[in-house]
Amino acid sequence: MRTIKLGMPIFLILLSLSFLIGSMNLPKANLGNPNGPLYFPIGLSAFMLIFSIFYLFQEWKNINRPNMDIKLLLEGRTPKLIGLTVLYGAIYALIFERIGFLLSTILFLGALLFTVNGIKKAVVNVIVAISFSFLSWYAFSVLLGVSLP
Amino acid sequence: MDMSNFMQGLMTALEPVNIMWVVIGGFLGTIVGMLPGLGPATAVAVLIPITFGMEPVSAIILMAAIYYGAMYGGSRSSILLNTPGDGSAIAATFDGYPMAQKGQAGQAMAISAVASFIGGMMAVIGFIFLAEPLASFALKFGPAEYFLLMLLTLSAIVSLSVGKMIKGFIAMFLGLMLSTVGIDTQSGVYRFTFGSSHLSEGIDFLIVIIGVYAVGEVLYNYLKIDHVQKEKKKVGKIWFTKNQWKRSMWPILRSGPLGFIVGVLPGAGGSIASMISYSTEKQISKKSDEFGKGAVEGLAAPESANNAASVGAMIPLLTMGIPGSGTTAVMLGALVMLGMKPGPLLFENDPNTVWTLINSMFIGNIALVIINILLVGLLVKILDTPAKVLYPVIVILAFIGTYTLSYSAVDFFLLLIFGVFGLFLKVMDFPIAPLVLALIVGADMEQNFRMAVLSSNGNLGIFFETPIAIGLTVLTLLSLFYPLLIKALKKKGKDPVNPITKDM
Repeated sequence: MRTIKLGMPIFLILLSLSFLIGSMNLPKANLGNPNGPLYFPIGLSAFMLIFSIFYLFQEWKNINRPNMDIKLLLEGRTPKLIGLTVLYGAIYALIFERIGFLLSTILFLGALLFTVNGIKKAVVNVIVAISFSFLSWYAFSVLLGVSLP
Repeated sequence: MDMSNFMQGLMTALEPVNIMWVVIGGFLGTIVGMLPGLGPATAVAVLIPITFGMEPVSAIILMAAIYYGAMYGGSRSSILLNTPGDGSAIAATFDGYPMAQKGQAGQAMAISAVASFIGGMMAVIGFIFLAEPLASFALKFGPAEYFLLMLLTLSAIVSLSVGKMIKGFIAMFLGLMLSTVGIDTQSGVYRFTFGSSHLSEGIDFLIVIIGVYAVGEVLYNYLKIDHVQKEKKKVGKIWFTKNQWKRSMWPILRSGPLGFIVGVLPGAGGSIASMISYSTEKQISKKSDEFGKGAVEGLAAPESANNAASVGAMIPLLTMGIPGSGTTAVMLGALVMLGMKPGPLLFENDPNTVWTLINSMFIGNIALVIINILLVGLLVKILDTPAKVLYPVIVILAFIGTYTLSYSAVDFFLLLIFGVFGLFLKVMDFPIAPLVLALIVGADMEQNFRMAVLSSNGNLGIFFETPIAIGLTVLTLLSLFYPLLIKALKKKGKDPVNPITKDM
């Protein structure tokens, strides 16, 4: 829990620092004020850095205060559910345009349903995966004229 | 008000195809809005793709119908499951759920639908009279005033996150930082694109919105997915008694205008409107001891107020192009995507669209009260759909929606990144609205700031030159110091927790 509690502000500090350095190294403008494109991002990242440091102190002060959401995030099957949803999503992104909307969506939705809803409800999962994929393909591709692979 | 524009808008809104879209939008919005944990912002974000290929006017009224349909729907899960769809439906749990526990779920849902209807109708009338004058007033705004108005909106929304202001500011700066990615429109300089042509046009804020609101929300709901215990409630009679109506009528009529005014204010929204109306009614009621135990007016008042607020929030959105809340920010995204340019010129350049939209709200409210009363049985059944089936389906809708924005599966990765990011923001209790709002207004804010400074040859005094600019600066400072005032009151031993904003 402590890692997440302190990890978030540290991540934000690093993010604002990288953004600040990146802003300072932005190319100058050829038109108008050469530094025009730099001011806004520099100002934002500086403020962001200040607030992130405040946030770090705030979290440090309350390090022992329990956070139910972090507890739930780390326990039971939650990490597995989140990890697998992201993994399936990434695979979906890779196969979507190669094998087409219908097949990839049936696979993605089916995998998600088996993971979230459980293997015991296989029949429901298969019916929902196939019927929803067909319905959405019909609605978007045929009714709304969206070009799907 | 130009009656010919009003009548023309009414005629367009009454076209059968548009009535059909209002009904479909209202119904879909009600369904998504009533699902536990999913609010109007998610409803609009997830359902954006269904507008593709539609006539712009129909698409816009459909999106608006989804928005206020979700406001209606939000209270269904509050009443039946004690689980509000979003912040604006929290107040409905206070007395709506106790009513359901007494076997009066049907009566609670009926009074909530009627209160929402009356609040919504009152607000639409307010909208008609206030929108055009406000749009004319906004024509006086130059870049400096626009910059200050956006600053006020952002500071107000951050300040209202009492107890988590630092997080609110961080979320706001994150949104503003994300808005700088892409080609700088004034100089043509590429900023933070890392050589990727995909990023040169910037990060599509709709992907961020769908990511944090839809995917992030589903991932967040995974935290409690095995802990949800659904109670089977007896719906009972689906109409309220004469006595219940007598107790509710005045609270509804008082809360409608109140909610509308709160909705128009930048940064405020349905959550604050419903909380204010609830606490007001509790204070003035002769039966205040019944509040929290199933007092019908404790349900009717916030329901009227939050629906009125949702219509009121459309005023700054349409007349100035400034969304006042996270949900209206999502609405703005949807409108811009549909080719509409909300702002003071909208009423001059596109009066038919805007008056059709306003008139469609009348029709939408009528349709929604019918849907929410006649179809109570169906809605309760939909609420019984297992979350474990529902969440994967919402994820798929989010992916399809993202694909339809750019026809590129590369954006799926961005969607996942923002989904996970949204999850962590929620887990760490960051307010999401400042992030989304800042991302949407960020680019305009920077451009207006630079144009103002350029026009004054670098003199920052331009931000204090006109009475409007001074007024906006004072309001911004007031909004920033409001939390300090609360703190000072706390030290003096007064009520330490602001009941209005503690749940935001």
